Amino acid sequence: MEFLLENILNLVGFLVGLGIGIMSLVGFRNTGSPTLFRLTIAFFSISIGFFVIWAGYMVEDFVIKAGSLERWIQTVGIGIQTVGYFFIAFSHSIKSFFPKSRYFRSVGALPLFLVSSVQIEHIFRSVSFILLAYGAIETMLSYFENKNKGAISVAVGLALLAFGEFLGWYSFVFPESILYPVSMAIKIGGLIALFIPVSKIPLTKIKFDESFDAD
Amino acid sequence: MAEYRTHMKIIGDILSTTRDDLQDDDGASVTYLIRKANISHSRISRILKTLVSQGLLEQVEAQGANKYKISQTGREFLQAYKTFSTFADNFGLTI
Repeated sequence: MEFLLENILNLVGFLVGLGIGIMSLVGFRNTGSPTLFRLTIAFFSISIGFFVIWAGYMVEDFVIKAGSLERWIQTVGIGIQTVGYFFIAFSHSIKSFFPKSRYFRSVGALPLFLVSSVQIEHIFRSVSFILLAYGAIETMLSYFENKNKGAISVAVGLALLAFGEFLGWYSFVFPESILYPVSMAIKIGGLIALFIPVSKIPLTKIKFDESFDAD
Repeated sequence: MAEYRTHMKIIGDILSTTRDDLQDDDGASVTYLIRKANISHSRISRILKTLVSQGLLEQVEAQGANKYKISQTGREFLQAYKTFSTFADNFGLTI
């Protein structure tokens, strides 16, 4: 069950990240917008991160069968995803790693208290949680300004990814419990919610113009 | 409170004006574009120069003054701009 969910999550993450990444890249090549460039890096990183974990599991389970590779592969994959989450948060104008706004500090402080060891994976997951929570809150705030319904879906998607990341990280405290499969199911839901508004963008007649270099 | 506009949004506003809101068939004058885009003369001059050099706007001389019309490339750029503006809006961002 856990193996199946893990594979579904990683494949959905890879495909959703790739889809939104390609869309952002087409947008960047057509408009030269730095925002779309940051989104391109963000979603390609997320896609690569999920792919690395999926490929690692496949190689481990069907080729090497040593049983020692998974943890490192997972750490590397989550690290790459964290880079992607950073660029989403950065697009919302993070000016420094610890901004002065009160709400960010309130969500940011929680995982730092709960980091149980120096394992890199724990740190990546807690950083991912902070960045995703920040991105979700900023996206929801932008909805209140613009009333763009797509922003709700993206905000919910980022919030679900944050919650899934939190549960996945917290499952270290209760290994073999239902927490980890639940976290994966929540993250799959988050990725789907993230993709819904993007899938409605009409791409007809958009030329992939390589000659245009924006000012 | 005045809305902050990115450089890209100002370009979008100028191109939209030259496509949808022309004074006459000759194109839009600089004064008209300044009023519509709500930016200074020095800034719009730089932007117009760039847009003409990129082929997004066509500069035509009419009645002793320079006027600007959107080109086919400009129309395609504007369509892409509007599409990806919606895309970025979904993420709570502005392109």
